Amino acid sequence: MLKDTFRGGVHPSDHKDLSRNAPLREFLPKGEMVFPLSQHIGKPARPIVAKGDAVLVGQRIAEADGFVSAHIICSCSGKVKAIEPRRTLTGGTLECIVVENDGQFTPAADYTAREDVSAIGNDELLRRVQDAAVVGLGGAGFPTRVKLQPKDPAAIRYVIANGAECEPYLTCNDQLMRTRAADIVEGLQLMLRLFPNAEGVICIERNKPEAIAAMRQAAAGKERLRVLDLVTKYPQGGERSLIQVVAGANFPITKLPADVGCIVENVGTILAIQRAVVFNEPLYEHVFTLSGEAVKNPGNYIVRDGTSFAELLEAAGGLKDGVTLRKALCGGPMMGIAMSSLEVPIQKQNNGLTLLAEDPNELAEKQMTACLHCGRCTTVCPMGLLPQLMADAVMVGDLARYEGKLYGLECIQCGSCTYICPAKRPLMQTFKQTKAEIMARKRAEAGGKK
Amino acid sequence: MNTLNISSSPHARDRWSTAFIMRVVVLSLLPTTIVGVAVNGLHALLVILVSVIAAVGTEFLFDKACHKPDTWKDGSAVVTGLLLALSLSPTVPLYMTAIGSIFAILVVKCCFGGLGKNFINPALAGRCFLLISFGRAMSSFQVDGVSGATPIALLMTGKSVDITKMFLGTASGVIGGSVLALLAGGLVLWALDFIHGEICFSVLGGFTLYLGLFGGQGFDPKFLLAHLCGGGVMMGAFFMATDYVTSPVSKLSQMTYGLLIGVLGGLFRLHGSTADSFSYSIIIANLLAPLLDTYILPKPFAYRRAALRAMKGDRRSFLQRIPRPVIVLTVITLIAGIALSGVYAITKDTIDDQKRMANTASYKAVCPQAERFEARADIDQAIFNLNGAVYGTRFGRAYIEEALVGVDGAGETAGYVIRVTSADGFDGNITLVVGLNAEGTVNGIAFTELNETPGMGMRCAEPAFKDQFNDRTATAFRLNKAGASDNSSADGIDAVSGASISSGAVVNAVNAGLDFFHAVIKEGT
Repeated sequence: MLKDTFRGGVHPSDHKDLSRNAPLREFLPKGEMVFPLSQHIGKPARPIVAKGDAVLVGQRIAEADGFVSAHIICSCSGKVKAIEPRRTLTGGTLECIVVENDGQFTPAADYTAREDVSAIGNDELLRRVQDAAVVGLGGAGFPTRVKLQPKDPAAIRYVIANGAECEPYLTCNDQLMRTRAADIVEGLQLMLRLFPNAEGVICIERNKPEAIAAMRQAAAGKERLRVLDLVTKYPQGGERSLIQVVAGANFPITKLPADVGCIVENVGTILAIQRAVVFNEPLYEHVFTLSGEAVKNPGNYIVRDGTSFAELLEAAGGLKDGVTLRKALCGGPMMGIAMSSLEVPIQKQNNGLTLLAEDPNELAEKQMTACLHCGRCTTVCPMGLLPQLMADAVMVGDLARYEGKLYGLECIQCGSCTYICPAKRPLMQTFKQTKAEIMARKRAEAGGKK
Repeated sequence: MNTLNISSSPHARDRWSTAFIMRVVVLSLLPTTIVGVAVNGLHALLVILVSVIAAVGTEFLFDKACHKPDTWKDGSAVVTGLLLALSLSPTVPLYMTAIGSIFAILVVKCCFGGLGKNFINPALAGRCFLLISFGRAMSSFQVDGVSGATPIALLMTGKSVDITKMFLGTASGVIGGSVLALLAGGLVLWALDFIHGEICFSVLGGFTLYLGLFGGQGFDPKFLLAHLCGGGVMMGAFFMATDYVTSPVSKLSQMTYGLLIGVLGGLFRLHGSTADSFSYSIIIANLLAPLLDTYILPKPFAYRRAALRAMKGDRRSFLQRIPRPVIVLTVITLIAGIALSGVYAITKDTIDDQKRMANTASYKAVCPQAERFEARADIDQAIFNLNGAVYGTRFGRAYIEEALVGVDGAGETAGYVIRVTSADGFDGNITLVVGLNAEGTVNGIAFTELNETPGMGMRCAEPAFKDQFNDRTATAFRLNKAGASDNSSADGIDAVSGASISSGAVVNAVNAGLDFFHAVIKEGT
């Protein structure tokens, strides 16, 4: 059931030429480092250091609280300055551990020594992944160890390495695959050890020919491993799009990829698994793209968790001369979060900063007209929904139809409908809100019953 | 740094906007417009200009009067005005054009909430409004300064038409009648994803299928092509039915909607009293579109049967999954279809023979001196040259169908028969045969088709009326409408009382036959 793309989708300009050939550079910050206690899906971590404690690179400073949670790792050496609420990228405040950076980056252990892991068991492998605080680096930050422990590992048919990177502007995974292909393949092989019946499929969009070539070379001759080149289309890198392509399966929002025999991990996460298992190195740095028309020097970086967005931008040469920044996006334009300030820490799952001199949403608002019923939203919806009718249902307040006949809760909020709408209607935004409303009401009802 | 905009993702937008789509649709209609003006002349251009200006102006004034945002700029009014003009006769008076355009925008669009809210296609609504209000002006067509029936009117009377002319747009008809130009614009729109192929192709498919099955001529390519090229089928399929606002959303409902238009169009075309089958079928489908959107809802991919099956591990192939009854029914339908076509093909000649025999019987009745009837090359050529057009404007809408020479046992010319159809009957066509002796004196007339009002127009077939023509020589007969008998004049014919329209049509048909006799048949001897 291998095709080369999913149904629906859109073709936004990818703007990847700005940074696609900029080599990965390690960025070592000088300023204080801020570590929010919740950088993952699940319960926030519990701090295990106190103000004034000395900390080292790779040291655990907060512990996972419960099964679906992850540790927090320090990415610099220095002293804990405070544990206090700080502003984070969504604009709200979170409890954070603030570390005064001594600029030495003294590691807590030797992370360069390679260990022969051919003999270690699956439990040990999973323990190392958990100890290294690996979470999904694709955006959601789901604790990887949880994902690697489905109910029935033997039922997993595909382990999908997500190197699609369909989000415009972002190129860091492209660079990562070009330069670390062998390590990624090794990480994927480690994952395959957990799933005896699975095949590893590395999925890459065709606008990254160098990465495809590098991964093909690294995967050549390896058992149960294959590289799949895919049509360049958003949201190709969405979990569900990839599963549709690789396994031919579509599944409701209430199900998990494992329910259809798939595990999807971002290539950066797979590299982190390899580092964690083979080098016992916790996850404290990841790849990151700084791009956008407003940036002077777009580029790809290896950044440490907790670095301030503003510090990275400044060190990279700041904004283009004479350009006023209108919009700062954590991530790319399709799914990125608009930031109100750059003085916030980069978290584990953040993979880019896109700075724009013009706000497309502002321009779109000026062009907004009534819905034409052109049906383009229906054509592009990767889930097969009917966005136009969903928006109609919301407008007349018929939430029962929205949820029932129109399956409105199945929306994955990829934003393809909003992107394509010629009338510039805020479709996905409406669905996001409506979904939150319905979920809140359901929770309230469930709470009332208790 | 304090001026950062905060908004929800996505932070990117496609280039297409409402105005852009409207501009492209106008561009795609440009070839049709150019051909229409080139063929029909300056007045057609004026009709187009008046229609567009009236449409945009109405929306502008409505916006102003109701203190609404300026929506006239989005170009949708231009599209409506242009489509309306292209679907009008090139001779329609300008004030009517303006009225249609204003009705389309003001009543159908603005009053129902403006862009995106009109419940039926405004251009078609404007056209139908005009058709109902000014039927005569709307259905009068001219080409090269000569009025003539549209090819579809001819087709409906069973005459042959020039498909090439229809394809190029030089046959008489609406301004936007060039099938070639419409197809060019429509296919480009479809290829660039501006219109849904699900709609336009199911319209054409449904129409073709219906005509093929019930048109009485099977899937005869010439017959089907003639119908597809005329009467606004292409305009309807590519530009009217595909209107976003009034068509349903999902692929399945779009196909249903398209088929509905096609089948209704075919039904109206075959059995309706007007050539405007498509205007009405599209409007009816427009009205049903919200219903389709309510009841035909495709499920998300994850809930479709294929996905659910895949989750259960069912891996049967497509053919294996089709329920047995569906296969059986399909096979039966196919066999029945083939059998029907076969029967038609076999009986076609027999049907033609019977028609010919019926005609021959009428010929014998009005030209008893002749033993057999023969064609003459110059007469056939003259009829062919008429190309199914009206025979002279003096005789109303009369058409020369056939003219033969009656030959007696000795091989001498014994008389002539001329079969004429008048489309001016009170209730459809009147076809009659005029029989003449060798000198040109009328032997008598006989009807081969007469569907007039019983007791009134039908009385034309009674001897009291039709025998008045017997044994009279005239270049043209005259109808005595007063009812007072006036047989003193050589060319007077008394009308059937209360049926002056039917009587007039008969006299006109006979006169057309006589004129043809003098102008063509007698000349050739």
